[in-house]
Amino acid sequence: MTEEDTGGHKAPPVSSMKMVSKTVSNEQMKQNNENKILTKNRSLSQMKKREELAAYLFLSPYLISALVFTIGLLAFAFYISLNRWNIFTLPKFAGFTNYIKTFKSPDFLRSLLNVFWYSLVVVSFQTAIAILLAVILNKPVPGSSLFRTLFYAPSVTSSVVISMIFWWLYLKTGFLNLAIGKLLGVLHVAWKNIDWLNDPRGLFQLIAGLFGKKIPYSKWYFTGPSITWMAIMFQAIYTTSPTFMIMFLAALQNIPPSLYESASIDGASPWKQFTRITLPLLRPIIMMVVVLGTIGTLQLFDYVKIMTSGGPLGTTLVPVYLIYRETLGTEGPIRAGYGAAMAFILAAIIFIFTYLQRRFIERGTEHYF
Amino acid sequence: MKKIFVLLPTLAFVLSVSVAFAGGKQEQKPSAETTTVSKGAQPTSFTKIPVESKATIVFSGWGDQTEQKIYRDSIVRFNKIYPEVKVDYQPIPADFQTKIKAMVAGGTAPDVFYVDDQLMTALGMTGQLLPLDDYMKAANVSRKDFIVELLKIFTYKGKTYGLPKDWGTLGLVYLPETLEAAGVPEPNDNWNWDDLFNAAKKIASNTKFAGFVQNADWARFAPWAFEAGGSYTNSDYTKATLDTPEIKKAASYILNMKKAGALVTSSDVGASWAGEAIGKKVVAMTYEGGWMVNFMRQNYPDVKWKAAKVVKGLNGKRSDVIFTNAIGIISSTKYPKASAAFTIFVTSRENQAEIVKTGFAYSTHPDQIDLVQDPNDKQIAAGGLVGRVAYWGPNTGKINDQVSKALERIYLGAQTVDESFAEANKKVNEILSGQ
Repeated sequence: MTEEDTGGHKAPPVSSMKMVSKTVSNEQMKQNNENKILTKNRSLSQMKKREELAAYLFLSPYLISALVFTIGLLAFAFYISLNRWNIFTLPKFAGFTNYIKTFKSPDFLRSLLNVFWYSLVVVSFQTAIAILLAVILNKPVPGSSLFRTLFYAPSVTSSVVISMIFWWLYLKTGFLNLAIGKLLGVLHVAWKNIDWLNDPRGLFQLIAGLFGKKIPYSKWYFTGPSITWMAIMFQAIYTTSPTFMIMFLAALQNIPPSLYESASIDGASPWKQFTRITLPLLRPIIMMVVVLGTIGTLQLFDYVKIMTSGGPLGTTLVPVYLIYRETLGTEGPIRAGYGAAMAFILAAIIFIFTYLQRRFIERGTEHYF
Repeated sequence: MKKIFVLLPTLAFVLSVSVAFAGGKQEQKPSAETTTVSKGAQPTSFTKIPVESKATIVFSGWGDQTEQKIYRDSIVRFNKIYPEVKVDYQPIPADFQTKIKAMVAGGTAPDVFYVDDQLMTALGMTGQLLPLDDYMKAANVSRKDFIVELLKIFTYKGKTYGLPKDWGTLGLVYLPETLEAAGVPEPNDNWNWDDLFNAAKKIASNTKFAGFVQNADWARFAPWAFEAGGSYTNSDYTKATLDTPEIKKAASYILNMKKAGALVTSSDVGASWAGEAIGKKVVAMTYEGGWMVNFMRQNYPDVKWKAAKVVKGLNGKRSDVIFTNAIGIISSTKYPKASAAFTIFVTSRENQAEIVKTGFAYSTHPDQIDLVQDPNDKQIAAGGLVGRVAYWGPNTGKINDQVSKALERIYLGAQTVDESFAEANKKVNEILSGQ
């Protein structure tokens, strides 16, 4: 309601009052009503404003912290990425040199390739295994709650404990080599112990080796993920699959049983039911699991820091570990600007991946609901 | 192996020694001795400097319970001389360097703390540490009072930013029974590369033990490289010197030993590091340091082991690698004088003589090397006299990493010695040129 509206309803001139007494009284009533509405509207708009203010007040603790600690820090990090900064003295403006340096750095490019393999393998396997486990546990078989607990146990175990257990399993004289050796021994095949956490031989190198070809280590982009890297991937899949299994389990329990009932009346086999009912209806959850998994894997840090420090021969180097190394100067001078530039490039890559995944997986989901 | 070096400070140079107190005051009771020191009646080299009144300083270092006790005791001794200074000891047992850097950036750094090569690069070269020279002068302490080599890391543009608190080096650690089983005499001072090679080969082929254990590790490789006349960089740390005949000679020797079956890695024999391989009695010899004493005592008390000096090079010269840490002061401290007094006291002859008594560390004063009594310790510590500090300027960590990687490639047979060190040389030069 504006002032113009109120001005248009001023009282008519006195001379014409008698002639139009009825109309006047009608108009007065109308005006009174309108005035009432206006007042009501005004108080409504005031109330609305007050409400908005209250809402902002209630939101302010979060908004302020988001402004300072999320947006503020992002802006600060971006500013730093354009500077040379040792975190103690004043930053020196450097333009986009840090970004250019990042793209030229063989370490960074290598870490991207490493994390690409990691993401591809871990996300695919953990999603598939999680669906499989969830489908199995969703059947009302005796003891399913026990298995649910057992399968979920790795997810609630501390990552340090998991790392220690795997570290022992992976020793050159550890259980894994022993088990494989014994197993192959039965088949009279000799097994040479592998130093799982310190073996840079790449997957493609090994395959090429079978055909008598050799891929040198200097051509790191052709060697494929190393044995050590694959060992860590296995550990990650083992630890994270159960978490996602729980999500799938919850989603499965939301699928109306009537769909399966009618499908079975129509003569659909269990496999058909799985591919035509279960999987399509799980699509939103699959999409969420894949996106969360991709973001998580691209940000991998802890296993690398605890188990390999990026070795052997840089085959487990990941971007976040490099960012940590440069920003805190663990092996040389502190280069926070360079670290920040790497972080922004990584963020951009994560954004692109997530966007593409949404485009491909989310497409068509809504048809089912 | 790199991880072992992260652990080293915590395992810390624990040595079992009994020592004589500097100046022959061993028979004095501690209380009487410190009182006299504070009254200045006893002959002592220690000079008290004037400090701020009511000073409270925060002191931080890494280390386990043993190390923490050593420094709590040092604070008690310090307070007997400087009762007016309150020292608040706040140990940071894990991620020390990272935490200190964050604290310095946030303006909450301790006044006095341990400084290693990483912190020297981050803080000393950016003006965050207090130059100690004026305070040393006031306390009659000269750089010459310390083993000069140790000060190399902590000196920048002619100023001293940290006083070395202890140091370590490598020796030839071995299990006598394994040598006996192979009919090899125990190592002596005249052993050279060939003697070690032959002994390791004989043990590996004639007994159930492996001969010599060494991982692809820049630190354990350093004595070989130095003895061959090599160095990782030139003297002003501006150019890599890894693609040289000297370095390649050392690397070829290691590779030949490996090819001959005389050298294994710790993981080959199911150990996480060489010391553990000795403890588990699966290998005859290795190059390790003074930390072995405490490690063996705590984990393998029944295993009889011995130590000798690192073997001589083929030219008859012996060389060793030195690791050291210092104590430094944050430049923004409110109490520079009290902090300096504490730093100078903790690293002084008087205090270090007491620390050596506990078997914790070697003294950083050249005239106190003899305080080491245990024969094994003495052999290892002797490396300090012919040692070079493992420091190649601000990029030391990255350079060391490249050397380890070059060795790893050779160990794997992925590259020849020439190829591998040519690649390392190129990468180190890229690092040094700031790429």
